[in-house]
Amino acid sequence: MNRLAIALVAALLPFACKPADAPKPEGDGGPRKFSIQLNWVPEPEFGGLYEAERTGAFTAEGLAVEILAGGPGVPAPQLAASGKVDFAVVSGDQLLTLGAAGGDLVAIYAIYQLDPFGVMVHASNPISSMEELWKSKSTVACEGDLAWVTMLNRKYGGQDLSFIPYSGNVAQFAADPTLAQQCFITAEPVTLELQGKPVKVFPTRDSGFNPYNGVIVTRRSFLDGNGEAVAKLVRAMQAGWESYLAQPAPANEIMAKLNPAMSREAMDLASQRQAAIIRTADTDRLGLGAMVAERWKETADQMVDLGKIKAAPAAESLFRWTSPVK
Amino acid sequence: MRRVLPPILAAFAAVVLWDVAVRAFAPPPYLVPSPGAVWDTLRDDRASLLASALRTATSTLAGFGLAAAIGLAVGSVLSFSRALASAIYPLTLLFQMVPLVAIAPLLGIWCGNGPPAVIAASALCAVFPVIANTVDGLRSTDPNLRELFRIHGAGRLRTWWKLELPWAVPSIMTGLRIAAGLAVIGAIVGEYVAGYAGADAPLGIVVMASLREFRTEKVFAAVLLAAAVGFLLFGAVSGLSWLLLRKWYAGVR
Repeated sequence: MNRLAIALVAALLPFACKPADAPKPEGDGGPRKFSIQLNWVPEPEFGGLYEAERTGAFTAEGLAVEILAGGPGVPAPQLAASGKVDFAVVSGDQLLTLGAAGGDLVAIYAIYQLDPFGVMVHASNPISSMEELWKSKSTVACEGDLAWVTMLNRKYGGQDLSFIPYSGNVAQFAADPTLAQQCFITAEPVTLELQGKPVKVFPTRDSGFNPYNGVIVTRRSFLDGNGEAVAKLVRAMQAGWESYLAQPAPANEIMAKLNPAMSREAMDLASQRQAAIIRTADTDRLGLGAMVAERWKETADQMVDLGKIKAAPAAESLFRWTSPVK
Repeated sequence: MRRVLPPILAAFAAVVLWDVAVRAFAPPPYLVPSPGAVWDTLRDDRASLLASALRTATSTLAGFGLAAAIGLAVGSVLSFSRALASAIYPLTLLFQMVPLVAIAPLLGIWCGNGPPAVIAASALCAVFPVIANTVDGLRSTDPNLRELFRIHGAGRLRTWWKLELPWAVPSIMTGLRIAAGLAVIGAIVGEYVAGYAGADAPLGIVVMASLREFRTEKVFAAVLLAAAVGFLLFGAVSGLSWLLLRKWYAGVR
């Protein structure tokens, strides 16, 4: 009987490890410790965060922020939703699908105001538009069930395409001149170009599906208990991004060391290219990282329409924009 | 019945325990689904899930067949010559040691995406235990019998066919049983990197897609089906083994 009890306890133990939800008290002296889980390896998408760390923008706000690099297979949304990390970078549509599966995340900062997803083909490929690609018999390496894929399938059919898994690197793409592959317009195309393999990129947001991306999220309960500290974090990230946009080189130097797969040169070029989707009319008005309800509503409604979620949550519940207008 | 009942009871108890734990601790469904939710998914998506399982099963069977054929051939050739065996056998260990996940992305480039790469991954994963057990089985032939064959002037090939191979069958069957489970794992890994997505995507793709959509219950459903494919193959090999050996060996399963 005793042994059975031990076995029972052992079997149930993993479930007992509940997230450390209890918010640490605010203002007890000493810096607040936060962790941010990236959803990819260090690259210019996260430049402002590394810049905030480098320039001391986090410490200036009384925060000690630990940036955790991610990669393919790092479940950043789940880590944030279960409280294993305080914040994580996710895509706007992930926030909605995770919400439908019982996660309760709130967006506090959107790095990319416009969706950076694209599909690239080799420059030598005769295909010259997304429509042409989607009506061809090409093979596309992508996460085949992403919302924009469904959107494009609706628009252009796509029944002759073959989809293979997205590997997270460009090895197979580089080896196969006929392959099309998903990308962040700010990342893979730049690397390939500098390797002497020019590509054509078709942005997926042209399909009409244009969620916020590089969205920094946290649990609702955490946000409710730590509103002031989160506002400080947002301010620090804004300062980091301002500084990075003005002068990306120092942070790129740091990130190139952390991510040997992307050269310093590629990081510099990527940081120039991404400026246009980071600084927009919205951010000029509301500050870097800002989000507006109309955009969230549009994405949520599209996700319902595409069959990815059953009902659209209220747009206001998906994000909190607390930062003072700059 | 006495042999079937205990595992069924154990499985039932495990499911009950799982259900009780999920009810007691109420983890969010994207982390741990309840058995009921997994069952509902199996029922609601049965058409597409079965189509997926069928695709995975086909690749697994092909990969397993390939592994069995290659394993038997290589194992036999190695048993013909001590020198050859000592030179090549350590190399075949590579099949066991190379982390499949690391080279799997290359299989798509080498063999072509879709089934070819998946079958290659499956075979690669499953081939070693067949080689190893074939070599062991052939080598363990009673030396006195081998001597008898030699005295009567039997050639090398004839000795292999008439004496060593029958002698090695139990060992080879053990290798094949191990390979059955590995073939499924290899196929799933192959599908992860090179399987075709789409309407009737194989189980590896279903797992990946469901993970991305935070549908953990569907991940569990797909994993259960993958395990079922492995069980079926294992059962088929065990059945074959029983048919081949029941007259000759005691204690054959």
